[in-house]
Amino acid sequence: MDETKPIFGKSLTLMQDDKTLITQLQQKDERALALLYDKYSGAIYSVILKMIKDESKAKDLLQETFITVWEKSYQYDADKGRFYTWVYRIAKNKVLNLLRKPIKLIQTDDFSVYKEKEEEISFDAEHLELKGALTKLKDHHKIAIEMVYFKGLTHREAHEEMGVPLGTFKSYIKQALKQLRTSYTKSVSFVLLMLTHV
Amino acid sequence: MMMGDKKNIIEDGILEQYILGELHPSDEKYIEQVLASDKELKAHFDILEADFEKLGFENAITPPKSVKDNLIKDIRQSKSSLQNEKAFPSSNSFKFYFGIAASFAGLLLVSSIWLYSQLNKLESDFQTVQTDKKELNSKLDQLSKTYKESSEFYAVLSHPETKQYVLEGNDLMPDGKLVSYVNHNIKSVVINTEGLPELDADHDYQMWADVDGEMINMGIIDKTQPLLAMNYINHSESLNITVEPSGGSEHPTVERLVTNIYL
Repeated sequence: MDETKPIFGKSLTLMQDDKTLITQLQQKDERALALLYDKYSGAIYSVILKMIKDESKAKDLLQETFITVWEKSYQYDADKGRFYTWVYRIAKNKVLNLLRKPIKLIQTDDFSVYKEKEEEISFDAEHLELKGALTKLKDHHKIAIEMVYFKGLTHREAHEEMGVPLGTFKSYIKQALKQLRTSYTKSVSFVLLMLTHV
Repeated sequence: MMMGDKKNIIEDGILEQYILGELHPSDEKYIEQVLASDKELKAHFDILEADFEKLGFENAITPPKSVKDNLIKDIRQSKSSLQNEKAFPSSNSFKFYFGIAASFAGLLLVSSIWLYSQLNKLESDFQTVQTDKKELNSKLDQLSKTYKESSEFYAVLSHPETKQYVLEGNDLMPDGKLVSYVNHNIKSVVINTEGLPELDADHDYQMWADVDGEMINMGIIDKTQPLLAMNYINHSESLNITVEPSGGSEHPTVERLVTNIYL
């Protein structure tokens, strides 16, 4: 089991590093922001992309999210939750605000009003593909998680969308998370098993 | 939303909704309080949070490098603009001190103008005072003179040896008369001119003393003075008054003798 130590050691170090980095971020350390960006931007970008389905807007929103992280870092309280959760919520709010914005109308020279010309949307459908343990879930579990986690729907909106009672929907989420956890534990165990046999 | 007890919170999926940011801010506050006070619930929450995070990391999509570049550029710009803002106060403080200096200069100018005008006023006041002083001095001189004369008149009139002579007017001056006070001891003659009729501007009364048949000038009578000291002439036998051309004569115009009296 000696070989397992580096894994825990590393994850502990990572956690420790995060704590230090966040403190440095709160002290306006640019390097800390860059490192935290490197770690979290991928996961956050995925959420933004899946919600907005527009790469150009997603890039802007990701940048705006991390600018908010930079400017409001003093608001983050580690006792209340993980740094990832905090950034996730910032990003989600930014996307929802943009999605809820009314369609811009522009006035032309002859005083008639047209809908703003729709910009060309660049989006690769691959971005919507789910990866990892989530893919192994039953469809209704997978969809339920996808709706609340990646599409930005509330539980109430999502259960209507799925056409199941709210209580049922909530239990979908619970079961889905439970299965994910099991598969994570399994994969960790598998890695540990592999390591012990190397 | 009714949160209820710990069991409800867990079963109702409230922690999941909390993590996903779906709760109302007031409900969020409530959950935070419960989590802070309930270690078991917090442990459950920590697992859920880790699950969501793991889910996120498994589905990560690497963003284009340009986003990070722009982000860093952006915060550097905001930093430098902050520094500029910090640098700005110095120029503000320059403006501030310049403003104070300008205010002082303005005040100085205004007060200088005021002082200059005050100086001018004081100078003119001083001139007035000087003039007044001269006037007062001359008045004082006059008063002193008048007082001296009055004292002399009083000395003559109150002297026990002073004799009063009333010179009645003759046919040429039937209604006129002159009262004279003669003191041989102190050799003074004082006359009261009030009884003499007014003359035209071309003529004056003149007084003469007769000494051995010769008329000696005692002086022109100034009608503006009620009491008048005349020259005392030794050995005078009579006092005579004639009407002479304005300014008086060296010799009396006998034809125009208006009154006389023998002493």
